[in-house]
Amino acid sequence: MSAQGDCEFLVKRARELVPQDPYAAKAWLITARTLYPTDFNIQYEMYSIERNAERTASAGRLLYDIFVNFPEQPVVWREIAVITAALRNDSQDKHAQFLKGVFETLPGPVQCKMLLKATEQCFNTLEKAEMLLLLLKRFPESVVQHGVSLGESLLEAETVEDLDTPVNCFRKLFVCDVLPLILNNPEMCLPVSLLYKYMHKAAEFYICYVTKEPSADGQIQGSQEVGGLKSPGRGRSQHVVIDGLSEKSSVVTEPWERLLEMLCVVGSLCDWQGEKGSRSYSELLQRVTELCRYMSAADGEGFSRCCGQIVTCCSLVLFHCAFHYVSAVQPSLFQGHGALSASPWVLLEDLSSVYTDVEVERKHAHKKRKLADGREKTMSSDDEDGLAKGRGRHIVVNNTEMSSWTETLEHFRTARESWDLLHSHQSLETEFAKICSAWKTEMWLWFRIFLTDMIIYQGQYRKSLSSLALMSSLQNQQNQNSLSNSSNLETHRAIIQQASCHYALGEYRMACEKLLEVVAGLTPQNQDAVKSIEEQRKPRSKARKGNDLRLVPCTSKSILPFCLQLMLACFKLRAFTDNRDDLALGHVIVLLQHDWPQGENLFLKAVDKICQQGSFQYENFFNYVTNIDMLEEFAYLRTTEGGRVQLELLPNQGMLIKHHTVTRGITKGVKEDFRLAMERQVSRCGENLFTVLHRFCINEKIILIQSLP
Amino acid sequence: MSDIRHALLRRDPLSAAKEVLYHLDISLGSALQSSSGPTPGLEKSTVDLVEEFIFHVPKDRNIQPKRMSCVQELQLLEIMCSYFQEQSKDSIRQIIFSALFSLQGNKADESRMAMLGKLVSMAIAVCRVPILECASTWLQRTHSAWCVRLAQVLMDDYCTLVPCAFSTLQNICSASPRFCCQLITAVTALYDFSSDELTPPPALLEMLVGWITEDPRLLLLTFINTPLNSSLPLGCLEITPLLGLLRWCVKAPLAYQRGRKLALTNGHGESEKGTAHEELYSKLHLSVLQVFLMLQVHMTEQNLIGRLAVLPVESVATLVEEVSRLCEKLTPLSAANHIQLALDRLAQALQVAMATGALLCAREDLRTLCSRLPHNNLLQLVMSGPVVQPPPHSGAFQPNMYPHIHSGRPSPLSPHSPHQSTLPPHPVLSAHPTHRPITAHTTHPSLSPHAFHPAAMAFPYRPIR
Repeated sequence: MSAQGDCEFLVKRARELVPQDPYAAKAWLITARTLYPTDFNIQYEMYSIERNAERTASAGRLLYDIFVNFPEQPVVWREIAVITAALRNDSQDKHAQFLKGVFETLPGPVQCKMLLKATEQCFNTLEKAEMLLLLLKRFPESVVQHGVSLGESLLEAETVEDLDTPVNCFRKLFVCDVLPLILNNPEMCLPVSLLYKYMHKAAEFYICYVTKEPSADGQIQGSQEVGGLKSPGRGRSQHVVIDGLSEKSSVVTEPWERLLEMLCVVGSLCDWQGEKGSRSYSELLQRVTELCRYMSAADGEGFSRCCGQIVTCCSLVLFHCAFHYVSAVQPSLFQGHGALSASPWVLLEDLSSVYTDVEVERKHAHKKRKLADGREKTMSSDDEDGLAKGRGRHIVVNNTEMSSWTETLEHFRTARESWDLLHSHQSLETEFAKICSAWKTEMWLWFRIFLTDMIIYQGQYRKSLSSLALMSSLQNQQNQNSLSNSSNLETHRAIIQQASCHYALGEYRMACEKLLEVVAGLTPQNQDAVKSIEEQRKPRSKARKGNDLRLVPCTSKSILPFCLQLMLACFKLRAFTDNRDDLALGHVIVLLQHDWPQGENLFLKAVDKICQQGSFQYENFFNYVTNIDMLEEFAYLRTTEGGRVQLELLPNQGMLIKHHTVTRGITKGVKEDFRLAMERQVSRCGENLFTVLHRFCINEKIILIQSLP
Repeated sequence: MSDIRHALLRRDPLSAAKEVLYHLDISLGSALQSSSGPTPGLEKSTVDLVEEFIFHVPKDRNIQPKRMSCVQELQLLEIMCSYFQEQSKDSIRQIIFSALFSLQGNKADESRMAMLGKLVSMAIAVCRVPILECASTWLQRTHSAWCVRLAQVLMDDYCTLVPCAFSTLQNICSASPRFCCQLITAVTALYDFSSDELTPPPALLEMLVGWITEDPRLLLLTFINTPLNSSLPLGCLEITPLLGLLRWCVKAPLAYQRGRKLALTNGHGESEKGTAHEELYSKLHLSVLQVFLMLQVHMTEQNLIGRLAVLPVESVATLVEEVSRLCEKLTPLSAANHIQLALDRLAQALQVAMATGALLCAREDLRTLCSRLPHNNLLQLVMSGPVVQPPPHSGAFQPNMYPHIHSGRPSPLSPHSPHQSTLPPHPVLSAHPTHRPITAHTTHPSLSPHAFHPAAMAFPYRPIR
């Protein structure tokens, strides 16, 4: 009989006894171990009994023995793999907790050795990294030896796997787990260049994480939305599931705060000037602005030394604020389909002054056009003028529709200021451009949205148009990817902005073309609902001048009125030129019905013009004019008291008149037609004006566009 | 001295007894302070006074000492209780206790024992730790026959008379573990399964298992706290309860089997109770083995391996003898399983005890020792020893390398008296001269337990499976 036979006999007896009498089983194994102290199976059986009974302390004790005495046994390695796997994942199940407990009972050096060995056994980079991370977390002294190499291996894995987004499992591990250990370890001494590199890697991750498109299934989001999100950066982190990670470990809480904390740590490690750990992004900008002012006064060398600091801080402020602005303006971009009810907002020229007197307006418009055109041609020399102009612009928001509008505008302002700072010096600009190209920010739709709005704000309309073109190409790409049809409103948003820009540039025909494209997709709203909103706005609208901007919700309800105003603005100048243009004048009259009686003065002016002309031809009159005041006025114009104005308002009426001038009595028939038309029209007064004007825009689209130069 | 006696004679028995206690305290206290020697001897006259006025042994044929009433006796016990409680000097307390209760081999011993039993019983009831500590020393220094008697009194009081007071006894373990350790040794000596009356009461068994599983080190307390050079009288209790408990574990399957046979003839089986016992004994047996492992750690640390027989071979031989007799009485067919269980346990204990150095015995001797026992596979394996393997690395299992990262509760075991460097022959060893290995092993104190079995002594036959 061999020793092995003895051992097998002893283990077998113990195993048989486990279910009925575990104490006896253990007694057998203790005996067996004293007989054959170097037999692995006996000790492994002892361990198995304790492990299966989940007795932490004794299992740990026995694991220690077999780990020390039988380090080459494959079974031991399998066991260690199971335990370390339990340590790595965050499972709360009882057995995993037990295994973690067993690991905790082991003495530190053994834990360390075990983790290192387990790391060697991993072939998968991610697992290996997670394992090593366990080691680093437990034994800070090992960070010095393994920290940077682990970080580099993760960054390398990212390149090797050719991942198209920085929001991947390797980066997540690097940024959220490894980097804090490296940065917070006092023994570490990293070169500044490496710190910058890591900081930028972290920033890219956090920003892309926050701005990642929400995942396709809307259920999760729908349930998340209930919590009443205020800040878009918060709370939404749950939606993103990073490839290769569990849903739970994909979560990055408070990404912006984490980023700021990390910036402070890196700042202190790099000995940043004047950086005492900023508590907020706006504070950060303030510090950097001061530093920038101070440094540009100093020598060039000092400036270049601070360049990294300024660009890093400032670009983070820029992205932080731009993100918050865009998430308010285009919430569906980050909140997914669950947030479809939240409509986008669009930054447009404020046209509430469209009803003011045309004489004043005309001068203004000429000047504005000249300015805008000139700026496009001589960008650099004219820039300051543009910026100066831009800085003073006011943005009108209806505060009943956007509750957090002050914050939103504040973010917009801070983001613009950061941008300006980043472009205030050649070296800063170069440095910032490097970051942008590394991060491929030109592919960030959300950032393009901000840039476009910023350029619009700056009044650089030609540039805005090309920015808008870029934006729609990005949008198309994104839609192809996500196959969503939710972007209807978002496309509208871009086109309206195009229209608004064309208008500002004086390109009325283009403006009209664009806006009519939008109007075709709108559904007219109930008149009263709109009225009430318009009413609310009125008292404020008086004090403003023509140079303001307006942040408008991108809904039919708000957009259709804007389109009508914009059309009016386009036609107004043409209608009131010295040359006679009855068609334009007619369009203006139709459009003036909207928001009546705001445009009463303009209407009276039109009437004056008609009186002066002595005749007026507009065959669509009875199709689209239902305003009783207007109808009355026109009925009056025909009378003797009204000046016997020749009105040709019925289709083909002009032909008839010409044909029958010689014969009396036929004119009488014409008169009769007019009277009948008037009577019929009066009965149409109750029609929804928006439906009428919407129809006007759609039916007369071609004539409208053609009637503009 | 006779003046005191005369004065005392005039008093009532209680105040006389009090007076003697007072006198004892004064004289011993001052003697302890003045003398430079280790322990002041007790004057004959003082001993006489104690015997006459506390234990009421007549000294004078003419004068019959007045006996105390029961109430007075109770009062005296109370006085003693509070005396020991309040006496802050450990040494004085010990001396007074031994002056009162050390057996003198005279006719006073009976009343001494009676009084001691009552005092200890009372101390348990009201948790007087100093008395329990004194009692544990008494249990160490007194012949086992008397110890068994004290255990009997306590068991009568707490198990038989007032079973509901048992929990009081149970809680004593945390108050005076030393006392409990000695009590376990005493009760295992008392209940030896020789008859139904001497089968451990279930409640006692459960209590002991509870104590031991709570902290197995309890079993080693006396052993660890006894200075190696202190001379213990002949016939005293074993230094650890290990052998006693082992006897229980090994004999229990056989004895309960015997009991079952009786119960069956009486017509009422106690199978359910039986399984509960079985589990408790199984647990207890495991604890005993685990304590052997602890003992090994301790002895290795103290460099005692091979020098000290914690389990005397004679006692083991007696146990083997008893087992073999019990087995013979049982019909092998119906009791085969129980016999095998008993032998499994015996074999395990022998093996682990030898391996851990608690039992100093060569396998050859073991074979002679166990030759009359029925066949058992494990026993065969143990007797023949392991097949010698080419040692891959370390050799013996070394449990003591484990770093103690979790310090347990402050161990009463830890401080061993610091006189290990020059090791005098241990009294236990000298008292029980063991077989041949001692000299062999003193030369290899660090050798593994397997050195007890030289490879040359291969046993001719192997277990049958």
